[in-house]
Amino acid sequence: MTRPVNPETIAERVQEFGAVLQVRKNRIAVKTDPGRLHDAITTIQAVLGFDRLITISTVDRGGTFELLYHLIGPHRIIVSLAVDIPRTRPVMPTMSDLLPPAGIYERQIHDLFGIVFEGHPDLTRVVLNEDWPAGEYPMRKDWKPDPGHFYGGIKTEEELKCQK
Amino acid sequence: MAVPGNGISRRLVSWARIKSPWITVYNSGGCNACDIEIIACLMPRFDVERFGILVRGSPRHADILIVTGTPTLKQASRLRRVWEQIPEPKYVIALGACGSSGGVFRGLYQVVDRVESVIPVDVYVAGCPPRPDEIINAVVRCIDLLREDTAHGGKEWRQKKPLPAPVPGEKSPAEVP
Repeated sequence: MTRPVNPETIAERVQEFGAVLQVRKNRIAVKTDPGRLHDAITTIQAVLGFDRLITISTVDRGGTFELLYHLIGPHRIIVSLAVDIPRTRPVMPTMSDLLPPAGIYERQIHDLFGIVFEGHPDLTRVVLNEDWPAGEYPMRKDWKPDPGHFYGGIKTEEELKCQK
Repeated sequence: MAVPGNGISRRLVSWARIKSPWITVYNSGGCNACDIEIIACLMPRFDVERFGILVRGSPRHADILIVTGTPTLKQASRLRRVWEQIPEPKYVIALGACGSSGGVFRGLYQVVDRVESVIPVDVYVAGCPPRPDEIINAVVRCIDLLREDTAHGGKEWRQKKPLPAPVPGEKSPAEVP
């Protein structure tokens, strides 16, 4: 297998997964959908040599969440696979079986956005504190802290005085 | 303080404490700039070891706790636990704008605003980040406090007394024409 080094070859190859947008010389954005993402990552890992996950970024676009999987290979070309998932049912198949480092990013996204990754081996809290109230996702645009809720930290001044 | 009286062992312990304050550094959610300045203190240019100041990894060996950064909700309980492990007499320095007041992170959803809302603070250092000589000055100020507290037999003398209850019928100074 000869490894493709120019962005045009890669753009041609990833066309089958969705609309391709050549952002810059070494950046390719592909708009795909949640069902085909697993195949897309398998293909570009095996055929095009994109073997490293940089990060997964999430954007709250009101009605949908946009997940971007940024992958890079030894040819230093970055491909960003974009996926839209509805806000009413934020469920996404996990990629941690293909890309082991995706697991920790998915836990973080689950913590901050409330997106459920199906098939993830251990989807527990990683960023927020343990006594954060369940069902509150602070990175969502419509989230506001509820004054009635306790979000963690130190409870009262009296407790401090007792221990002093 | 822990040992009462004014015997030879008591004076020896006080002397040793004043001569060599050991510090421990705890980053409770900052950006590491304050920690870099603390490292600059340890380097030959400022060289705090000539004052007997030694950085220890464990809070159980330390006399002075330096807290950098705005404590986040997750770090608040950890910071309290670190503070509880330090043996008395202990002193706390809130380092930088974030530690003293919350800095630019004040009022965010994931922070308790300042170090003082978690543990009692003795010395505040301004600056973002503070200069190494200001950090050394803060530690020296803690030694002064330790010396005064040893003379007074405890930290209680520094605590502010509550205001006396107003006498009914008497006008406050602001109301007197």
